[in-house]
Amino acid sequence: MLSALIIDDEAPSREELRALLADATDIEVIGECSNAIEGLSAIHRLRPDVVFLDIQMPRISGLEMVGMIEPSALPRIVFVTAYDEHAIKAFEEHAADYLLKPVDAHRLAKTLDWLRSGKRAPATAFPGADSPLRQIPCITRNRILLIALEDVEYINTTVCGVQVVALNKQGVTELTLKILQERTALIRCHRQYLINLDHIAEIDLLENGAAEIITHSGKRVPASRRYLREIKDKLLIG
Amino acid sequence: MLELQNINHLALIGSLLQQMCVYLVIAYLLSKTPLFAPLMQVTVRLPDKLVCYLVFSAFCIMGTYLGFQIEGAIANTRAIGAVLGGILGGPLVGFAVGLTGGLHRYSLGGYTDTACAVSTTVEGLIGGYLHLFLLKRHRADRLLNPMIALGATLFAEILQMIIILLMAQPFDAAARLVAHIALPMIVTNSVGAALFMRLILDRRETREKYSIAFSAKALRIAERSVGVLMQGFNEQNCTRMASIIREETGVGAVAITDCEKLLGFVGIGADHHLPGTPISSPHTFYAIAHNEVVYADGATITYHCSVSKDCKLGSSLVIPLRGEGNRVFGTIKLYEPKSKFFSSLNRTLGEGIARLLSNQVLAGTIEEQKRLLAQSEVKLLQAQINPHFLFNALNTLAAVIRRDPVAARKIVQYLSTFFRKSLKRVGDESTLKDEIEHVDAYLQIELARLAGRLDVEFLVADDLLHLRLPTFSLQPIVENAIKYGISQMLDPGKITISAQRSDDELTIVIEDSAGLYKPLPNGDGLGMNLVDRRIKIRYGAAYGIEVSCEAEHWTRVAIRVPVDQELVTC
Repeated sequence: MLSALIIDDEAPSREELRALLADATDIEVIGECSNAIEGLSAIHRLRPDVVFLDIQMPRISGLEMVGMIEPSALPRIVFVTAYDEHAIKAFEEHAADYLLKPVDAHRLAKTLDWLRSGKRAPATAFPGADSPLRQIPCITRNRILLIALEDVEYINTTVCGVQVVALNKQGVTELTLKILQERTALIRCHRQYLINLDHIAEIDLLENGAAEIITHSGKRVPASRRYLREIKDKLLIG
Repeated sequence: MLELQNINHLALIGSLLQQMCVYLVIAYLLSKTPLFAPLMQVTVRLPDKLVCYLVFSAFCIMGTYLGFQIEGAIANTRAIGAVLGGILGGPLVGFAVGLTGGLHRYSLGGYTDTACAVSTTVEGLIGGYLHLFLLKRHRADRLLNPMIALGATLFAEILQMIIILLMAQPFDAAARLVAHIALPMIVTNSVGAALFMRLILDRRETREKYSIAFSAKALRIAERSVGVLMQGFNEQNCTRMASIIREETGVGAVAITDCEKLLGFVGIGADHHLPGTPISSPHTFYAIAHNEVVYADGATITYHCSVSKDCKLGSSLVIPLRGEGNRVFGTIKLYEPKSKFFSSLNRTLGEGIARLLSNQVLAGTIEEQKRLLAQSEVKLLQAQINPHFLFNALNTLAAVIRRDPVAARKIVQYLSTFFRKSLKRVGDESTLKDEIEHVDAYLQIELARLAGRLDVEFLVADDLLHLRLPTFSLQPIVENAIKYGISQMLDPGKITISAQRSDDELTIVIEDSAGLYKPLPNGDGLGMNLVDRRIKIRYGAAYGIEVSCEAEHWTRVAIRVPVDQELVTC
């Protein structure tokens, strides 16, 4: 039995796919999402075996979404697209699977066979999945928020998750510090903190060799000795 | 004795006036030459001043030579040159002319030589200071006033007499001389100066009248020929153009050619100068090859018709027509018959006409290019039917068929309406009603696809529906509002399409509630740019598209087009 999640912003499209999948007895659709941000959260929460993922979605595309998930946590992805010459070409080159809308039942059957076989495409197979992030999807009090990377002052892990702190807003993101560090220009300054170099106003050196970074808006961020050298180097080089 | 002297005076005035006539005839003849041109206006240019000096010095010297000897002195009209030189050329020129005339007089000797030299210089200076005085008073127009010239010369001559009395030795002889020549010289010189000035004035007026008539002629040709060649540089239009030019200029014949053949010929010799035949005249070949005006006046450069020996045409003016990059694309030729004694062919007018024609053809080319561009852009807009839209629509349909066949049938209808309108409409303009139907079909499909995420409102009064705007103005904008607006929203959004009319302007506003507009330097805004360009090409830069945006709240695209003043039906 394979658990499946459908992520697509168009309701008729989800409905159609769900109806087609209903014919396969060994596939169970465990959820539907209408955008990538909800999708990220559902993937982390539901841990589906396979995600049917639309590419064209509001604000964060399916391709960008894949890039926001740690490869180890990544379910098997089947892209579903209406028309996207470039993406399709890339999928074919990387042997990733995709379906074209409107989805043909025979074509879907082949995809299901591929899924049952247990083979999976390498994480690098997804075109654009390793491009730098421009914005970080967050959730604040039932609201979805996209914080532009240049506005982010720092990011840290707290008990309630990964917290993104920007100039005048903040939110909790599904993305891990590791992914954020890899895919953005943010620098690790502490085991639990990433800092945006562009927002550093001053660095207070402490007696124990550690330091405290003060941002332009006056927020204080701890910096451990281990990461301090790298930060200094980057700041001096520019 | 007294009587005798009176007769002597009259005889002297008579002879001096005769001299004056010779003097003025020479002045008249000279006035026909370009040498006179600088004298006709008040000028500060050095070359003009030099001409002024040379001309009036010559008159000064001539005045001395034309005078005759009286008692070892010379009764003369030298003062005219000196005073007028000063009035027209200023103090410096006046001084120089007076000095030149004076030195020349001095070289001839006689007991009044010094006095005459000094007095002539003084006369020049008097003219010069009058010049300065009038300029300072901003009365430059008075410089050419004959009465002023008369007064100045009168004053100058009286002064001269006084100078002779003061300087010439012996005084007795000087006094006798002055008694004899004072009245005749004062009268003759004053009247002569006034007449001379009148001559200059006449010459100037004639020239102005001539140039007015000339401009009027050019203007009339321009007025009558508006747009003739804009519709194409072909035989029909060229013949029309040639006949207009012939009627207005009154030349014997007019021809227009391209670089290979005759396109239009009107006038004498039209029986054998046939439109459509290749160019054969060497003058024309030369004009085309060298991009130069060729004037075969029939005298210095002979003209022979290259088609027929019996041709009555005797002279020809060939002017190249120049298009983009000054390239020759044809010629215009003006002809006069052999029988005509004074040719009215005029190079300047001919060149003016050629420029007019060139500009018209150029404007026509630009219009044509604009039209082609606008046409190809409609094609581009049509071809822009987004494959994304098509496949998404089909996908939506697949889902809806399963659930609600009746709704699916409706979508099929909207889809076919949309495609029919997209593919079929080839006209340049359509009504707002057409545009809204097109957009409505499009939005109905998007409503089904975005199920619940889109709300649409039309706020268009019925009495605006007949107004016209370029085809395909609305749909690309609405499509952008969906593509970059609503479909990028995480929450439901709304599109509002409204139209208002002010007196002579129709404004259609497409507003989306996304507020995600970001101006793109190129690329995706293609549809919107095309719509804007087409409106501007059609109605001018004052119309077109304006975008305003409040981030995260709304984006408004306003399309502005002019409204034709409707015809009032009786």
